Amino acid sequence: MSQLKTTWHHIRRSPFQSLIAAITILLSFFFISIFAIVNSGLSTVLKYFETKPEVTLFLKDGLDDTAIGNIQKDLQTYNGIKEVSYVSKNKALEIYKEQNKSNPLLTEMVTASILPASFEITVSDPEVLEQIYQNYSTKTDIIDEIIYQKDVIDALLNWTNVTRKIGFIIIIIITSISFITMVTIIGMKITNRKDEIKISRLLGASNFYVKKPFLLEGIIYGLFGSIFGFVFAFLLALISQKPINDFFQPVIFIDLNVTFYLILLAIEIFVGAFLGFIASWIGVKRYIKY
Amino acid sequence: MKIVFDQVDKKFGIVYAIKNVSFEIDQGEFVFITGNSGAGKSTILKLILNQLKPSSGKVLLGDVELSQKNKNDVNNTRQKIGVVFQDYQLISDKTVEENIALILDIVSYPPEKIQSRIDKVIKEVNLGSRRFLFPSQLAGGELQRASLARALAIEPEVILADEPTGNLDPENSWNIINLLKDINKENNTTVIMTTHNNEIVESMGKRVIKLDEGEIIKDYKHSKK
Repeated sequence: MSQLKTTWHHIRRSPFQSLIAAITILLSFFFISIFAIVNSGLSTVLKYFETKPEVTLFLKDGLDDTAIGNIQKDLQTYNGIKEVSYVSKNKALEIYKEQNKSNPLLTEMVTASILPASFEITVSDPEVLEQIYQNYSTKTDIIDEIIYQKDVIDALLNWTNVTRKIGFIIIIIITSISFITMVTIIGMKITNRKDEIKISRLLGASNFYVKKPFLLEGIIYGLFGSIFGFVFAFLLALISQKPINDFFQPVIFIDLNVTFYLILLAIEIFVGAFLGFIASWIGVKRYIKY
Repeated sequence: MKIVFDQVDKKFGIVYAIKNVSFEIDQGEFVFITGNSGAGKSTILKLILNQLKPSSGKVLLGDVELSQKNKNDVNNTRQKIGVVFQDYQLISDKTVEENIALILDIVSYPPEKIQSRIDKVIKEVNLGSRRFLFPSQLAGGELQRASLARALAIEPEVILADEPTGNLDPENSWNIINLLKDINKENNTTVIMTTHNNEIVESMGKRVIKLDEGEIIKDYKHSKK
């Protein structure tokens, strides 16, 4: 308890140094939290597209049941087909209404007749996709449009990977800066309190007794930075949730899932305390010679 | 704790601070170390505290040579020694009370008894009205008494007092000396005190180690006036 008091005393006696240490850690964890939230959103987007049919054939209007049946039979002859499902005009309208239920204006004017019927095809062998695409892209008399999902997923995956790499690099840079800042600030604090350390030693204080308040100080900065960094990122996610989710509709990019955020907070608290401890430990090791 | 100096030299460069110093101090003795400025009085105290290491010879505390002790043993030994430093060595951003609390925390004094112990020693050195002040707000004599209060707080086996009356008026000087005398008598605490004050030395009738240019020129028991 007394050592905690001493730690608090150290923090209060040089408030600006303490503030800088806490803010740099806070910034790190703010960006880590934002990165985690964006990463989770990107994964949801990817998952959405991955679970979608990999090729969608939109049919020309006016095809009779026989023509539609023939197309279905033909599609099922390809090797490596997992599922071929027919989406009628009425079913398409249902899906459209479900996707836009929050915006009645978009659904009021739409009828089944203006939406195309389609075949949604999923495969177990990706090479079949290319064959289907090639074969049906020439059949313009029955096919209105083909959406080849693989291209979308590849582009999205590429974009997601780049975003993750850039985010990771930014986090490494910011965390390194805050780590070095903390080592330096703890070093400055030790230098400022050299007399106190010397006197404590003459009075019989052990090596650990002298170092402990500085180690605790580092842990406190880590805890403070991680908790508040998370809280600010969470608030930002809360504020921007609606416009971002509207943009990514129908995907829920920012999902306020309690379990996800609690796990994120727990991990950040642990990492923050550990980072603070290691930074102060290096500072203490460097500046307190016994 | 018996203190033994066996042919101890301490050199700073080519200059001897003390030279071939040998003496034994038994537990419960009250010893004055006297001599002019630069005679080596403070060096002896610093060697006992292991703040300095001898250039040659042995310093033994409780039959164990200090240089043979590991860091933990040195810390434990220091925790049994109350020191009144010549330059006070109080922590500048802690109040008198906090400075005393610090040493009690270092020696792992029972937390529930810390406040009552602080109250007791502050009363003994007559610093009641100054307990919440910082060292920079105290006069020289008050700093010396605060330093003494800190030394007494841990109920040490040995008290090293480096010119503890140097900045005190005669009345406070005698109060401090009488306090040290009582502690020495009641608790069998060894007191080793450096001083220039011949009047105090002569009137106490205690053992005196007199130094000149780092060498012991007299080790005798002064007859009480």
